[in-house]
Amino acid sequence: MEVLRINNLSKNYGSIRALDNLNMTVRSGEIMGILGPNGSGKTTTLGILLGILKPDSGNFTWFENQYENPRLRIGSILETPNFFPYMDADENLDIVRQIKGIDNKDFDEYLELVRLKGRRKSKFKTYSLGMKQRLAIAATLIGKPDVVIFDEPTNGLDPEGIAEVRRTLQDVASQGKTVIMASHILDEVEKICSHVSIIKRGKLLASGNVGAILSDDLIIDIASANMPNLQRFLEIYPGINKIIRNKEVLECTASNDLDVGELNITAIKQGVRITHLVARKTRLEEEFLKITNRPTSK
Amino acid sequence: MIKLLKLEYSKFKKSQVVVLLLALFVVFLPFTVSIGEFFKELPPPMPSHKVFTNFPEIWDYLGYSGNWMVSFLFGVLIIYTITLEVSYKTLRQSLIIGMTRRSYYLSKLYVVITLSVFATIFYTLVTLIVGFINTPNPTMELAFTNDWAIPRFFLMCLGYLTFAMMIAFLVRNSALSVFVYLAVLYFIEPLVRLAHRKWIGTDFLNYYPMNSIEDLMPNPLYRIADYVKINDSSFLMPYETAAALTVLYIAIFVAISYRSFLKRDL
Repeated sequence: MEVLRINNLSKNYGSIRALDNLNMTVRSGEIMGILGPNGSGKTTTLGILLGILKPDSGNFTWFENQYENPRLRIGSILETPNFFPYMDADENLDIVRQIKGIDNKDFDEYLELVRLKGRRKSKFKTYSLGMKQRLAIAATLIGKPDVVIFDEPTNGLDPEGIAEVRRTLQDVASQGKTVIMASHILDEVEKICSHVSIIKRGKLLASGNVGAILSDDLIIDIASANMPNLQRFLEIYPGINKIIRNKEVLECTASNDLDVGELNITAIKQGVRITHLVARKTRLEEEFLKITNRPTSK
Repeated sequence: MIKLLKLEYSKFKKSQVVVLLLALFVVFLPFTVSIGEFFKELPPPMPSHKVFTNFPEIWDYLGYSGNWMVSFLFGVLIIYTITLEVSYKTLRQSLIIGMTRRSYYLSKLYVVITLSVFATIFYTLVTLIVGFINTPNPTMELAFTNDWAIPRFFLMCLGYLTFAMMIAFLVRNSALSVFVYLAVLYFIEPLVRLAHRKWIGTDFLNYYPMNSIEDLMPNPLYRIADYVKINDSSFLMPYETAAALTVLYIAIFVAISYRSFLKRDL
Protein backbone atom coordinates (compact mmCIF):
# COMPACT_ATOMS: atom_id res chain seq x y z
CA MET A 1 0.00 0.00 0.00
CA GLU A 2 1.16 3.51 -0.76
CA VAL A 3 1.31 5.36 2.53
CA LEU A 4 2.39 8.66 1.04
CA ARG A 5 2.55 10.10 -2.44
CA ILE A 6 3.91 13.59 -3.07
CA ASN A 7 3.21 15.16 -6.46
CA ASN A 8 5.16 18.19 -7.71
CA LEU A 9 5.20 19.96 -4.36
CA SER A 10 6.59 23.52 -4.48
CA LYS A 11 7.01 26.13 -1.80
CA ASN A 12 8.68 29.54 -1.81
CA TYR A 13 9.70 31.70 1.13
CA GLY A 14 9.80 35.07 -0.59
CA SER A 15 12.42 34.74 -3.32
CA ILE A 16 13.84 31.51 -1.87
CA ARG A 17 12.60 28.31 -3.49
CA ALA A 18 12.38 25.82 -0.61
CA LEU A 19 10.69 23.02 -2.58
CA ASP A 20 10.90 22.64 -6.31
CA ASN A 21 8.39 20.18 -7.81
CA LEU A 22 9.22 17.51 -5.28
CA ASN A 23 7.94 14.00 -5.94
CA MET A 24 8.22 11.11 -3.53
CA THR A 25 6.49 7.87 -2.61
CA VAL A 26 6.60 5.92 0.64
CA ARG A 27 5.18 2.42 0.85
CA SER A 28 3.83 0.61 3.86
CA GLY A 29 6.52 -0.88 6.11
CA GLU A 30 9.36 1.21 4.71
CA ILE A 31 11.66 3.15 7.00
CA MET A 32 12.24 6.11 4.75
CA GLY A 33 15.05 8.53 5.48
CA ILE A 34 14.78 11.95 3.89
CA LEU A 35 18.40 12.90 3.62
CA GLY A 36 19.77 16.25 2.62
CA PRO A 37 22.05 19.06 3.70
CA ASN A 38 20.77 21.76 6.05
CA GLY A 39 18.28 23.97 4.24
CA SER A 40 17.52 21.36 1.59
CA GLY A 41 13.77 21.43 2.28
CA LYS A 42 13.35 18.42 4.57
CA THR A 43 11.48 20.21 7.36
CA THR A 44 9.47 22.25 4.86
CA THR A 45 8.36 19.00 3.21
CA LEU A 46 7.31 17.50 6.53
CA GLY A 47 5.66 20.78 7.60
CA ILE A 48 3.47 20.69 4.49
CA LEU A 49 2.68 17.00 4.91
CA LEU A 50 1.61 17.65 8.51
CA GLY A 51 -0.60 20.63 7.73
CA ILE A 52 1.31 23.49 9.32
CA LEU A 53 2.70 24.94 6.10
CA LYS A 54 0.77 25.67 2.93
CA PRO A 55 2.30 24.60 -0.39
CA ASP A 56 2.35 27.07 -3.27
CA SER A 57 1.57 24.28 -5.72
CA GLY A 58 1.43 20.52 -5.97
CA ASN A 59 -0.36 18.08 -3.70
CA PHE A 60 0.08 14.95 -1.64
CA THR A 61 -2.04 12.03 -0.49
CA TRP A 62 -1.81 10.00 2.72
CA PHE A 63 -3.00 6.37 2.74
CA GLU A 64 -4.33 6.67 -0.82
CA ASN A 65 -6.99 9.10 0.48
CA GLN A 66 -8.68 6.42 2.54
CA TYR A 67 -9.16 8.53 5.67
CA GLU A 68 -10.87 11.85 6.31
CA ASN A 69 -8.21 13.02 8.78
CA PRO A 70 -5.06 11.00 8.04
CA ARG A 71 -2.98 12.94 10.58
CA LEU A 72 -4.80 11.11 13.38
CA ARG A 73 -3.07 7.95 12.09
CA ILE A 74 0.36 9.57 12.06
CA GLY A 75 2.66 10.24 15.00
CA SER A 76 5.20 13.00 14.45
CA ILE A 77 8.00 15.07 15.86
CA LEU A 78 8.80 18.16 13.84
CA GLU A 79 12.03 19.99 14.77
CA THR A 80 11.85 20.33 18.57
CA PRO A 81 9.74 18.51 21.18
CA ASN A 82 6.76 20.78 21.83
CA PHE A 83 5.03 20.42 25.19
CA PHE A 84 3.67 22.58 28.01
CA PRO A 85 6.66 23.19 30.31
CA TYR A 86 4.54 23.48 33.47
CA MET A 87 3.01 20.01 32.98
CA ASP A 88 4.47 16.59 33.70
CA ALA A 89 4.85 13.73 31.20
CA ASP A 90 1.46 12.18 31.94
CA GLU A 91 -0.37 15.50 31.60
CA ASN A 92 1.36 16.33 28.34
CA LEU A 93 0.67 12.88 26.93
CA ASP A 94 -2.95 13.28 28.01
CA ILE A 95 -3.25 16.37 25.77
CA VAL A 96 -2.05 14.24 22.85
CA ARG A 97 -4.51 11.49 23.82
CA GLN A 98 -7.43 13.92 23.86
CA ILE A 99 -6.52 15.34 20.45
CA LYS A 100 -6.19 11.84 19.01
CA GLY A 101 -9.59 10.97 20.50
CA ILE A 102 -8.34 7.91 22.39
CA ASP A 103 -9.99 6.67 25.59
CA ASN A 104 -7.10 4.70 27.09
CA LYS A 105 -5.31 6.90 29.63
CA ASP A 106 -2.61 4.35 30.41
CA PHE A 107 0.74 5.61 29.12
CA ASP A 108 2.92 2.97 30.87
CA GLU A 109 3.75 1.13 27.66
CA TYR A 110 4.97 4.29 25.90
CA LEU A 111 6.90 5.67 28.87
CA GLU A 112 8.55 2.31 29.35
CA LEU A 113 9.65 2.17 25.72
CA VAL A 114 11.34 5.58 26.01
CA ARG A 115 12.64 4.87 29.53
CA LEU A 116 10.85 7.78 31.20
CA LYS A 117 8.57 5.92 33.60
CA GLY A 118 10.63 6.99 36.59
CA ARG A 119 10.34 10.69 35.67
CA ARG A 120 6.70 10.71 34.58
CA LYS A 121 5.66 13.10 37.38
CA SER A 122 8.46 15.60 36.77
CA LYS A 123 7.58 18.81 34.96
CA PHE A 124 8.63 18.90 31.30
CA LYS A 125 10.78 21.99 31.93
CA THR A 126 13.02 19.94 34.25
CA TYR A 127 13.88 17.37 31.55
CA SER A 128 17.19 17.21 29.72
CA LEU A 129 17.07 17.64 25.93
CA GLY A 130 17.42 13.88 25.45
CA MET A 131 14.51 13.22 27.82
CA LYS A 132 12.39 15.83 26.04
CA GLN A 133 13.13 14.15 22.75
CA ARG A 134 12.25 10.75 24.17
CA LEU A 135 8.96 12.09 25.55
CA ALA A 136 8.23 13.40 22.06
CA ILE A 137 8.89 9.91 20.69
CA ALA A 138 6.48 8.47 23.29
CA ALA A 139 3.87 11.03 22.19
CA THR A 140 4.21 9.95 18.56
CA LEU A 141 3.29 6.39 19.52
CA ILE A 142 0.03 7.23 21.32
CA GLY A 143 -2.89 5.67 19.49
CA LYS A 144 -0.55 3.21 17.77
CA PRO A 145 -0.21 5.19 14.53
CA ASP A 146 0.43 3.48 11.20
CA VAL A 147 3.14 5.99 10.33
CA VAL A 148 5.65 7.81 12.51
CA ILE A 149 7.59 10.86 11.36
CA PHE A 150 10.80 12.08 12.97
CA ASP A 151 12.51 15.29 11.95
CA GLU A 152 16.17 15.46 12.91
CA PRO A 153 15.51 13.34 16.02
CA THR A 154 19.04 13.55 17.39
CA ASN A 155 19.62 17.25 16.75
CA GLY A 156 21.34 18.99 19.63
CA LEU A 157 21.83 15.83 21.70
CA ASP A 158 25.06 14.75 23.33
CA PRO A 159 26.57 11.39 22.26
CA GLU A 160 24.77 9.55 25.05
CA GLY A 161 21.46 11.20 24.13
CA ILE A 162 22.02 10.34 20.47
CA ALA A 163 22.63 6.69 21.37
CA GLU A 164 19.49 6.61 23.56
CA VAL A 165 17.27 8.18 20.92
CA ARG A 166 18.65 5.93 18.17
CA ARG A 167 18.01 2.87 20.30
CA THR A 168 14.43 4.04 20.84
CA LEU A 169 13.96 4.72 17.13
CA GLN A 170 15.23 1.27 16.27
CA ASP A 171 12.78 -0.21 18.79
CA VAL A 172 9.97 1.75 17.13
CA ALA A 173 11.07 0.68 13.66
CA SER A 174 11.22 -2.96 14.73
CA GLN A 175 7.48 -2.79 15.57
CA GLY A 176 6.79 -2.86 11.83
CA LYS A 177 5.53 0.70 11.51
CA THR A 178 6.16 2.86 8.48
CA VAL A 179 8.73 5.42 9.55
CA ILE A 180 9.67 8.64 7.79
CA MET A 181 12.77 10.29 9.18
CA ALA A 182 14.39 13.51 8.00
CA SER A 183 18.05 13.90 8.77
CA HIS A 184 21.25 15.42 7.51
CA ILE A 185 23.28 12.76 9.31
CA LEU A 186 24.22 10.03 6.86
CA ASP A 187 25.26 7.57 9.53
CA GLU A 188 21.91 7.94 11.31
CA VAL A 189 19.91 7.25 8.17
CA GLU A 190 22.08 4.29 7.25
CA LYS A 191 21.71 2.75 10.70
CA ILE A 192 17.95 3.13 10.96
CA CYS A 193 16.38 3.39 7.50
CA SER A 194 15.55 0.80 4.86
CA HIS A 195 14.95 3.40 2.14
CA VAL A 196 16.24 6.86 1.48
CA SER A 197 15.31 9.91 -0.55
CA ILE A 198 18.04 12.47 -1.06
CA ILE A 199 16.93 16.06 -1.58
CA LYS A 200 18.80 19.24 -2.18
CA ARG A 201 17.40 22.72 -2.72
CA GLY A 202 13.93 21.22 -2.62
CA LYS A 203 14.55 18.79 -5.46
CA LEU A 204 14.59 15.01 -5.23
CA LEU A 205 18.00 13.82 -6.41
CA ALA A 206 17.77 10.11 -5.70
CA SER A 207 15.46 7.61 -4.07
CA GLY A 208 15.64 3.92 -3.33
CA ASN A 209 16.64 1.43 -0.69
CA VAL A 210 19.54 2.35 1.54
CA GLY A 211 21.60 -0.57 0.33
CA ALA A 212 21.34 0.66 -3.23
CA ILE A 213 22.12 4.26 -2.53
CA LEU A 214 24.42 4.38 0.41
CA SER A 215 26.41 1.19 0.74
CA ASP A 216 29.39 -0.18 -1.12
CA ASP A 217 27.67 -3.53 -1.47
CA LEU A 218 26.73 -4.86 -4.84
CA ILE A 219 23.09 -4.33 -5.75
CA ILE A 220 21.51 -6.77 -8.17
CA ASP A 221 18.09 -6.23 -9.73
CA ILE A 222 16.90 -9.57 -10.93
CA ALA A 223 13.65 -10.92 -12.39
CA SER A 224 12.25 -14.13 -13.76
CA ALA A 225 8.97 -15.36 -15.19
CA ASN A 226 8.72 -17.51 -12.05
CA MET A 227 9.49 -15.07 -9.22
CA PRO A 228 8.79 -17.40 -6.24
CA ASN A 229 11.19 -19.93 -7.76
CA LEU A 230 13.80 -17.20 -8.29
CA GLN A 231 13.40 -15.99 -4.71
CA ARG A 232 13.89 -19.51 -3.31
CA PHE A 233 17.05 -19.83 -5.42
CA LEU A 234 18.44 -16.49 -4.25
CA GLU A 235 17.67 -17.09 -0.59
CA ILE A 236 20.18 -19.90 -0.44
CA TYR A 237 22.69 -18.54 -2.97
CA PRO A 238 26.02 -17.73 -1.27
CA GLY A 239 26.82 -14.02 -1.03
CA ILE A 240 23.23 -12.72 -1.26
CA ASN A 241 22.62 -10.84 1.99
CA LYS A 242 19.22 -9.24 1.59
CA ILE A 243 16.32 -9.56 -0.83
CA ILE A 244 13.62 -6.92 -1.25
CA ARG A 245 10.61 -7.40 -3.53
CA ASN A 246 10.38 -4.19 -5.52
CA LYS A 247 7.55 -4.12 -8.07
CA GLU A 248 8.54 -6.54 -10.84
CA VAL A 249 12.10 -7.25 -9.70
CA LEU A 250 13.89 -8.62 -6.67
CA GLU A 251 16.41 -6.13 -5.37
CA CYS A 252 19.29 -8.07 -3.83
CA THR A 253 22.08 -6.72 -1.70
CA ALA A 254 25.14 -8.90 -2.21
CA SER A 255 28.78 -9.05 -1.19
CA ASN A 256 30.78 -6.90 -3.57
CA ASP A 257 32.92 -9.88 -4.64
CA LEU A 258 29.93 -11.86 -5.91
CA ASP A 259 30.38 -13.02 -9.51
CA VAL A 260 27.15 -12.10 -11.33
CA GLY A 261 28.05 -14.23 -14.39
CA GLU A 262 28.47 -17.28 -12.18
CA LEU A 263 25.10 -16.53 -10.53
CA ASN A 264 23.46 -16.44 -13.97
CA ILE A 265 25.00 -19.77 -15.05
CA THR A 266 24.05 -21.45 -11.75
CA ALA A 267 20.49 -20.20 -12.08
CA ILE A 268 20.15 -21.63 -15.61
CA LYS A 269 21.60 -24.97 -14.45
CA GLN A 270 18.98 -25.10 -11.69
CA GLY A 271 16.15 -24.31 -14.12
CA VAL A 272 15.63 -20.66 -13.08
CA ARG A 273 15.27 -18.62 -16.26
CA ILE A 274 16.42 -15.06 -15.57
CA THR A 275 14.68 -12.40 -17.69
CA HIS A 276 16.29 -9.33 -16.13
CA LEU A 277 19.67 -8.96 -14.47
CA VAL A 278 21.31 -5.66 -13.57
CA ALA A 279 24.22 -5.37 -11.17
CA ARG A 280 25.40 -2.03 -9.83
CA LYS A 281 27.83 -0.77 -7.23
CA THR A 282 27.54 2.22 -4.93
CA ARG A 283 29.90 3.73 -2.43
CA LEU A 284 29.01 5.07 0.93
CA GLU A 285 29.52 8.74 1.72
CA GLU A 286 31.07 9.52 -1.64
CA GLU A 287 27.79 8.53 -3.24
CA PHE A 288 25.80 10.96 -1.11
CA LEU A 289 28.29 13.75 -1.73
CA LYS A 290 28.33 12.94 -5.42
CA ILE A 291 24.54 13.12 -5.55
CA THR A 292 24.19 16.28 -3.51
CA ASN A 293 27.05 18.05 -5.24
CA ARG A 294 25.66 17.28 -8.66
CA PRO A 295 24.50 20.57 -10.22
CA THR A 296 20.72 20.86 -10.05
CA SER A 297 18.79 22.45 -12.88
CA LYS A 298 17.03 25.69 -11.99
CA MET B 1 -17.73 21.68 21.93
CA ILE B 2 -17.42 19.98 25.34
CA LYS B 3 -14.48 17.90 24.06
CA LEU B 4 -12.62 21.00 22.88
CA LEU B 5 -13.35 22.88 26.11
CA LYS B 6 -12.07 19.91 28.14
CA LEU B 7 -8.89 20.01 26.07
CA GLU B 8 -8.43 23.74 26.75
CA TYR B 9 -9.09 23.15 30.45
CA SER B 10 -6.40 20.44 30.52
CA LYS B 11 -3.93 22.82 28.91
CA PHE B 12 -4.43 25.78 31.22
CA LYS B 13 -5.73 24.50 34.57
CA LYS B 14 -2.16 24.59 35.90
CA SER B 15 -1.16 27.88 34.31
CA GLN B 16 -0.45 30.34 37.13
CA VAL B 17 -1.11 33.34 34.88
CA VAL B 18 -4.58 32.09 33.90
CA VAL B 19 -5.50 31.27 37.50
CA LEU B 20 -4.22 34.68 38.67
CA LEU B 21 -6.19 36.63 36.04
CA LEU B 22 -9.39 34.72 36.86
CA ALA B 23 -8.83 35.24 40.59
CA LEU B 24 -8.28 38.98 40.13
CA PHE B 25 -11.61 39.26 38.31
CA VAL B 26 -13.48 37.25 40.94
CA VAL B 27 -11.94 39.17 43.84
CA PHE B 28 -11.98 42.70 42.46
CA LEU B 29 -15.36 42.91 40.71
CA PRO B 30 -17.34 42.71 43.98
CA PHE B 31 -14.78 44.97 45.63
CA THR B 32 -15.39 47.81 43.14
CA VAL B 33 -18.89 48.53 44.48
CA SER B 34 -17.28 49.83 47.64
CA ILE B 35 -15.56 52.56 45.59
CA GLY B 36 -18.90 54.40 45.73
CA GLU B 37 -18.39 54.85 49.44
CA PHE B 38 -15.57 57.31 48.69
CA PHE B 39 -17.98 59.74 46.99
CA LYS B 40 -19.77 61.53 49.80
CA GLU B 41 -21.46 64.14 47.62
CA LEU B 42 -22.58 63.60 44.07
CA PRO B 43 -23.81 66.03 41.41
CA PRO B 44 -27.48 66.04 40.42
CA PRO B 45 -29.44 64.08 39.29
CA MET B 46 -27.76 61.52 41.58
CA PRO B 47 -29.28 61.63 45.05
CA SER B 48 -26.48 59.97 47.07
CA HIS B 49 -23.60 57.55 46.88
CA LYS B 50 -26.08 54.81 47.74
CA VAL B 51 -26.87 54.54 44.02
CA PHE B 52 -23.64 52.57 43.64
CA THR B 53 -25.08 49.66 45.63
CA ASN B 54 -28.84 49.98 45.12
CA PHE B 55 -31.16 48.61 42.47
CA PRO B 56 -31.50 49.51 39.68
CA GLU B 57 -28.39 51.71 39.35
CA ILE B 58 -26.01 49.00 40.59
CA TRP B 59 -26.42 47.22 37.24
CA ASP B 60 -24.80 50.23 35.53
CA TYR B 61 -22.05 50.82 38.09
CA LEU B 62 -20.99 47.22 38.45
CA GLY B 63 -21.39 46.77 34.70
CA TYR B 64 -18.97 49.61 34.08
CA SER B 65 -16.47 48.10 36.55
CA GLY B 66 -16.91 44.81 34.70
CA ASN B 67 -16.29 46.65 31.44
CA TRP B 68 -12.79 47.64 32.61
CA MET B 69 -12.02 44.29 34.18
CA VAL B 70 -13.18 42.15 31.30
CA SER B 71 -11.42 44.31 28.73
CA PHE B 72 -8.16 44.25 30.69
CA LEU B 73 -7.97 40.99 32.64
CA PHE B 74 -9.87 38.67 30.32
CA GLY B 75 -8.54 40.36 27.18
CA VAL B 76 -5.00 39.67 28.39
CA LEU B 77 -6.04 36.13 29.40
CA ILE B 78 -7.34 35.33 25.91
CA ILE B 79 -4.20 36.76 24.29
CA TYR B 80 -2.04 34.78 26.71
CA THR B 81 -3.74 31.44 26.05
CA ILE B 82 -3.39 31.85 22.28
CA THR B 83 0.10 33.35 22.00
CA LEU B 84 1.51 31.04 24.67
CA GLU B 85 0.71 28.13 22.38
CA VAL B 86 2.54 29.89 19.56
CA SER B 87 5.66 30.41 21.67
CA TYR B 88 5.60 26.89 23.14
CA LYS B 89 4.87 25.60 19.59
CA THR B 90 2.04 23.52 21.02
CA LEU B 91 -0.21 25.15 18.41
CA ARG B 92 1.88 23.55 15.66
CA GLN B 93 2.03 20.34 17.63
CA SER B 94 -1.77 20.21 18.01
CA LEU B 95 -2.15 20.34 14.23
CA ILE B 96 0.68 17.87 13.67
CA ILE B 97 -0.98 15.42 16.06
CA GLY B 98 -4.20 15.59 14.12
CA MET B 99 -6.33 18.60 15.06
CA THR B 100 -7.78 20.42 12.09
CA ARG B 101 -7.20 24.16 11.91
CA ARG B 102 -10.96 24.62 12.20
CA SER B 103 -11.13 22.58 15.43
CA TYR B 104 -8.19 24.44 16.88
CA TYR B 105 -9.77 27.81 16.07
CA LEU B 106 -13.12 26.67 17.48
CA SER B 107 -11.45 25.56 20.71
CA LYS B 108 -10.22 29.13 21.23
CA LEU B 109 -13.56 30.65 20.19
CA TYR B 110 -15.35 28.38 22.67
CA VAL B 111 -13.02 29.63 25.41
CA VAL B 112 -14.00 33.20 24.49
CA ILE B 113 -17.70 32.30 24.68
CA THR B 114 -17.30 30.34 27.93
CA LEU B 115 -15.34 33.13 29.56
CA SER B 116 -18.01 35.63 28.46
CA VAL B 117 -20.75 33.41 29.93
CA PHE B 118 -18.75 33.02 33.16
CA ALA B 119 -18.15 36.79 33.48
CA THR B 120 -21.82 37.53 32.81
CA ILE B 121 -23.06 34.99 35.36
CA PHE B 122 -20.61 36.30 37.96
CA TYR B 123 -21.61 39.92 37.25
CA THR B 124 -25.30 38.99 37.56
CA LEU B 125 -24.81 37.13 40.84
CA VAL B 126 -22.69 39.85 42.44
CA THR B 127 -25.14 42.53 41.34
CA LEU B 128 -28.13 40.64 42.72
CA ILE B 129 -26.44 39.82 46.03
CA VAL B 130 -25.09 43.34 46.64
CA GLY B 131 -28.34 44.91 45.40
CA PHE B 132 -30.59 42.79 47.61
CA ILE B 133 -28.41 43.45 50.65
CA ASN B 134 -28.28 47.22 50.20
CA THR B 135 -31.54 48.27 48.51
CA PRO B 136 -34.30 49.25 50.93
CA ASN B 137 -37.42 47.12 50.30
CA PRO B 138 -36.08 45.31 47.25
CA THR B 139 -38.49 43.52 44.94
CA MET B 140 -37.81 41.11 42.09
CA GLU B 141 -39.32 43.60 39.69
CA LEU B 142 -37.00 46.37 40.88
CA ALA B 143 -34.04 43.95 40.92
CA PHE B 144 -34.49 43.16 37.24
CA THR B 145 -35.28 46.68 36.08
CA ASN B 146 -31.97 46.85 34.31
CA ASP B 147 -32.55 47.76 30.66
CA TRP B 148 -31.27 44.38 29.35
CA ALA B 149 -28.06 44.75 31.35
CA ILE B 150 -27.32 40.99 31.39
CA PRO B 151 -27.34 40.44 27.59
CA ARG B 152 -25.56 43.79 27.13
CA PHE B 153 -22.81 42.67 29.49
CA PHE B 154 -22.47 39.34 27.67
CA LEU B 155 -22.26 41.04 24.28
CA MET B 156 -19.67 43.45 25.66
CA CYS B 157 -17.52 40.55 26.90
CA LEU B 158 -17.83 38.81 23.56
CA GLY B 159 -16.86 42.03 21.76
CA TYR B 160 -13.68 42.63 23.76
CA LEU B 161 -12.62 39.00 23.81
CA THR B 162 -13.14 38.34 20.09
CA PHE B 163 -11.09 41.49 19.45
CA ALA B 164 -8.34 40.19 21.77
CA MET B 165 -8.51 36.82 20.00
CA MET B 166 -8.14 38.48 16.60
CA ILE B 167 -5.10 40.47 17.74
CA ALA B 168 -3.52 37.31 19.20
CA PHE B 169 -4.03 35.31 15.99
CA LEU B 170 -2.72 38.15 13.82
CA VAL B 171 0.26 39.30 15.91
CA ARG B 172 1.12 35.93 17.59
CA ASN B 173 3.81 37.39 19.86
CA SER B 174 2.60 37.59 23.49
CA ALA B 175 4.04 40.94 24.56
CA LEU B 176 3.37 42.64 21.24
CA SER B 177 -0.21 41.34 21.14
CA VAL B 178 -0.96 42.67 24.62
CA PHE B 179 0.63 45.99 23.68
CA VAL B 180 -1.36 46.32 20.43
CA TYR B 181 -4.59 45.28 22.14
CA LEU B 182 -4.25 47.74 25.02
CA ALA B 183 -2.93 50.48 22.73
CA VAL B 184 -5.95 50.22 20.42
CA LEU B 185 -8.30 50.08 23.39
CA TYR B 186 -6.91 52.92 25.46
CA PHE B 187 -4.88 55.15 23.13
CA ILE B 188 -5.17 54.59 19.39
CA GLU B 189 -8.95 54.58 19.03
CA PRO B 190 -9.45 57.51 21.44
CA LEU B 191 -6.82 59.47 19.48
CA VAL B 192 -8.44 58.58 16.16
CA ARG B 193 -11.79 59.70 17.55
CA LEU B 194 -10.21 62.93 18.70
CA ALA B 195 -8.90 63.52 15.18
CA HIS B 196 -12.29 62.51 13.76
CA ARG B 197 -14.00 65.06 15.98
CA LYS B 198 -11.55 67.76 14.95
CA TRP B 199 -11.49 67.14 11.20
CA ILE B 200 -14.80 65.47 10.40
CA GLY B 201 -17.09 66.50 13.24
CA THR B 202 -19.43 64.51 15.42
CA ASP B 203 -21.10 62.45 12.65
CA PHE B 204 -20.43 58.72 13.25
CA LEU B 205 -18.00 59.67 16.04
CA ASN B 206 -19.39 57.01 18.38
CA TYR B 207 -19.40 54.18 15.84
CA TYR B 208 -15.79 53.05 16.35
CA PRO B 209 -15.41 49.41 17.45
CA MET B 210 -14.07 49.78 20.98
CA ASN B 211 -16.41 52.68 21.66
CA SER B 212 -19.40 50.69 20.40
CA ILE B 213 -18.50 47.82 22.71
CA GLU B 214 -17.87 50.15 25.63
CA ASP B 215 -21.24 51.87 25.11
CA LEU B 216 -22.99 48.60 25.96
CA MET B 217 -21.86 49.14 29.56
CA PRO B 218 -20.85 52.79 29.57
CA ASN B 219 -19.52 55.03 32.27
CA PRO B 220 -22.73 55.98 34.15
CA LEU B 221 -21.42 59.51 34.60
CA TYR B 222 -21.74 60.03 30.83
CA ARG B 223 -25.50 59.78 31.25
CA ILE B 224 -25.24 62.68 33.70
CA ALA B 225 -23.07 64.61 31.25
CA ASP B 226 -25.72 64.04 28.59
CA TYR B 227 -28.42 65.03 31.08
CA VAL B 228 -26.80 68.34 31.97
CA LYS B 229 -25.80 68.89 28.29
CA ILE B 230 -22.15 69.71 28.90
CA ASN B 231 -21.23 68.54 25.43
CA ASP B 232 -22.38 69.55 21.94
CA SER B 233 -23.23 65.94 21.07
CA SER B 234 -24.23 62.82 22.95
CA PHE B 235 -21.41 60.87 24.61
CA LEU B 236 -23.33 57.66 24.21
CA MET B 237 -25.22 55.69 21.60
CA PRO B 238 -28.61 54.13 22.28
CA TYR B 239 -28.08 50.58 23.55
CA GLU B 240 -29.77 49.12 20.45
CA THR B 241 -27.29 50.87 18.15
CA ALA B 242 -24.31 49.85 20.30
CA ALA B 243 -25.56 46.25 20.35
CA ALA B 244 -26.07 46.12 16.57
CA LEU B 245 -22.63 47.60 15.91
CA THR B 246 -20.99 45.24 18.42
CA VAL B 247 -22.56 42.21 16.73
CA LEU B 248 -21.23 43.49 13.41
CA TYR B 249 -17.74 44.04 14.84
CA ILE B 250 -17.74 40.58 16.49
CA ALA B 251 -18.55 39.04 13.11
CA ILE B 252 -15.68 41.01 11.54
CA PHE B 253 -13.18 40.04 14.29
CA VAL B 254 -14.12 36.37 14.00
CA ALA B 255 -14.02 36.40 10.20
CA ILE B 256 -10.58 38.09 10.07
CA SER B 257 -8.98 35.87 12.71
CA TYR B 258 -10.45 32.67 11.25
CA ARG B 259 -9.42 33.51 7.70
CA SER B 260 -5.93 34.51 8.79
CA PHE B 261 -5.50 31.33 10.86
CA LEU B 262 -6.65 29.08 8.02
CA LYS B 263 -4.38 30.65 5.44
CA ARG B 264 -1.12 31.30 7.24
CA ASP B 265 1.92 29.12 7.73
CA LEU B 266 2.32 28.22 11.37
